[in-house]
Amino acid sequence: MNAEPLLILIARTLARQRLDVVLIGNAAAAIQGSPVTTMDFDFLFRKTPTNLAKLKRVADDLGAMVLRPYYPASQLYRVTRDRDGLQLDFMAKIDGIRSFESLRGRASSVSFGAHELLVASLADIIRSKERAGREQDVAVLPILRRTLREKEEA
Amino acid sequence: MWPCSLFSGGRSVKKKKRKPNSGDALKKESERALVEQIRRQLALAPSKRTNFLRVRLPNGGTSL
Repeated sequence: MNAEPLLILIARTLARQRLDVVLIGNAAAAIQGSPVTTMDFDFLFRKTPTNLAKLKRVADDLGAMVLRPYYPASQLYRVTRDRDGLQLDFMAKIDGIRSFESLRGRASSVSFGAHELLVASLADIIRSKERAGREQDVAVLPILRRTLREKEEA
Repeated sequence: MWPCSLFSGGRSVKKKKRKPNSGDALKKESERALVEQIRRQLALAPSKRTNFLRVRLPNGGTSL
């Protein structure tokens, strides 16, 4: 499915609520050129009281709700919308990434509609997946590494 | 001690050439297809590399 309409909606909503985030995970890897798929959008954000309030407003704008899953995922806030299964995961901490600022500094800005989304660099996505070491992360690593090589050689 | 004839002047042992099996060919072909797919993606603008979302189906599966 083409995620463009959703990315336009997400970029607009995040901009309206001024929530500073970086897109990570397979969605970010796909936008960086990797032929991978995903069912959700993962973001890194700074967990502050202000940003948590903004996150609630983002969910309201999207007609979704914020959940805290119980499984061992540290600092994860899940925004879900029942009617179409839209799922946005906001994380305050991810493996292999020292700080939000460092990830943000290396991210690239991509336009979706009238707004922009910060998309994590492929090198950061690879580093994070290597550290996380989950089965689903390890499975896509050869594809991500190959994409990075192609980008560097281009 | 081994007789010298075993080491000199005897029949030369032919090294067997390893035949490429279908597994190797398949691996090579899938690698080539992956690189092609990556290059097609990289040829697009980042904002157009958006055909990655899988949707959940009512039966529990997913589809693109």
